[in-house]
Amino acid sequence: MAHYTIMGRDPYWMNFYGLMILTLIEVLAVGYDLPEEKIFIFSNYTLMILTVIAIPKFIMIGMIFMHLYGSPDSGILTVTALFPAFFIIIMVLFIGLTHPEATTGLPEWCRPGYYNI
Amino acid sequence: MSSYDDHHPSGWGPHDWGHGAPHNSWSPLIMSIGIGVFLFSVAGVYEWGEFIDASYIGVSIAGLAIIFIGLTVWWRQDYTFDGGYEPRSMGTPFRGIEVRKVAVWVFLMSEMMVFTSLFSTYMRYRFGIESCESVFMSGEWVEGSSVTCFEPAGHLIASSWFHLAPGAINTFALIISSFTIVQALRYAGMLDIDEDRRRKLVTRYLGTTWFLAVLFLTLKMIEWFLGFPLPEFLHEYNHGDSTIKSLYAEGYLINADSYQHKYYNTDYVASHGHGLDHESALYLMMEEGTHSGGQMMANIRVSASTFYVTTGTHGAHVLGGIIGLTYMTYKASRGGYTPDNAVSIEYFGLYWHFVDLVWVIVFPFFYLY
Repeated sequence: MAHYTIMGRDPYWMNFYGLMILTLIEVLAVGYDLPEEKIFIFSNYTLMILTVIAIPKFIMIGMIFMHLYGSPDSGILTVTALFPAFFIIIMVLFIGLTHPEATTGLPEWCRPGYYNI
Repeated sequence: MSSYDDHHPSGWGPHDWGHGAPHNSWSPLIMSIGIGVFLFSVAGVYEWGEFIDASYIGVSIAGLAIIFIGLTVWWRQDYTFDGGYEPRSMGTPFRGIEVRKVAVWVFLMSEMMVFTSLFSTYMRYRFGIESCESVFMSGEWVEGSSVTCFEPAGHLIASSWFHLAPGAINTFALIISSFTIVQALRYAGMLDIDEDRRRKLVTRYLGTTWFLAVLFLTLKMIEWFLGFPLPEFLHEYNHGDSTIKSLYAEGYLINADSYQHKYYNTDYVASHGHGLDHESALYLMMEEGTHSGGQMMANIRVSASTFYVTTGTHGAHVLGGIIGLTYMTYKASRGGYTPDNAVSIEYFGLYWHFVDLVWVIVFPFFYLY
C-alpha cells in the first residue's frame, strides 16, 4: 500500500477524484460541438482533448493504482512495464501512422473485398 | 515442532502450504488446453456472423468444461493459501520481489502487445480508408450501389447523449471498480482491525467490484444487441424516436456490405438539423443537377470488425475478471484474506487496473472519436 500522500490526502482517493473529473471532461468534450479545424497534429479539437486527457489518466492508474510509484519495487517494475513501449512505438507509429501512403490508401490485398486469398 | 509429519502427496497439488515450497500446478496447462479447444471450435460455429456448423458446439462445451476443471484445481489449491510461503525471485533484476508479482507483470506485458496490435490495426484502417462521412459529402456514390468506406462506431455512439450513456456509465464503473479493488487490498492488509470487520469490508469491496464488472458487461450487451426504450418526454430530444437502437439494430455488423444509415440519406439530412453543408461537393452537385441524392449504401465490414474485435477482446478480459472476482469474493466472505496473504488481491488488482487502462484508451478512440 502507498506510504505517501497527495496534497496531504490519501493518494487512492485523490487519484479516484482526478480520474472521475478527467472522464467527465472527456464525455462533455464529445457532447459539445467543438471546432472541426486542425490543431497541431490533431485533425480537430475533440481528438486533441481526448488524447490530452487519456495520457494523464493512463499515467495516474499505472503509477498510483498499480503502484509503479512509491513502492520499493516501483523502479524495476516500471522498467518492466515500459519494456513493450519499444514495440508499441514501432507498431503504432511506423505501421499505424507513417507507413507510406498510410493516409491515402492501403494495398489492394489489405482492402475490403479481397477475401479470397 | 513435532517430529511426526502426516504429510502425504495430494492429487490437488500444492495446497498443503504448511510443508514448505509449493509443487508445480497443473492448472495453467489444463486451462490453456481448454481455452485452445474452446477458441478453435467456437471459431468454426460462425462465419461472417452466420451460424454454419453445429458440430463444433459440442467441442466448444468440452473446451469450457476443461477450463472449468483447470479453475477448480487452481482455486482448490489457492483456497488454503494463508501467505505462509510466498516465493521470491532469486535472480537479477527481480531479486527479492515476489515471483507471482513479477509473473503478473510479464503477463501484462504480453497483454499490452495484444491490445497494441489491435489498436495499430484500427489506426491503420482508420487513416487508410476514407470515412463514410467524407465519401457521402464528396458525392462520389450512386444510390443503389455500395461504396467501401470507414464508419467509426463513435459516429453512431457519440451522435446523442442517449447513445453515449452506456459507454460513459461503463467508463465511470471501471474507474470506481479500480478504486474498490484498491480499498479491498487496503482493508485486507490492515493490521489494526478485528477479523470480522476485515472480512466484511474486504467482501463488500470485492463484491462491489464484481457488481460493477457485471454492470459493465450488461451495458455492453444493451449497447451491442438490445438497445433501450426512452420515456415519452425524452422522445423530442431523440429526433422523435422512442428507442435508442442497439448497434446490431442500426446494422453496424461485421458482415455489413450494404450498410444504410439515416445520416447518409440526403432527404433525412435536409429535413433534420441544418441540412447539407452548402460548401460540400454533394450539395453543389445536387444544385447543378449532376447528383440525384438519396441514400448512400456502404461496405463497413472493416470498421465494424476492428470495433467489435477490440472492444470484444476487452470485454472478454472483463469476463475473465468476473470469474476471478466470483471466487475471490467467496473466499473473502469465508475470511480467507488476511494481512499475510493480502498480496493475492494486489496481484488480481494489477490485472483489473490493466483492464481499466485499456478502456482508458479504447473508450475515447473507439466510442467518442
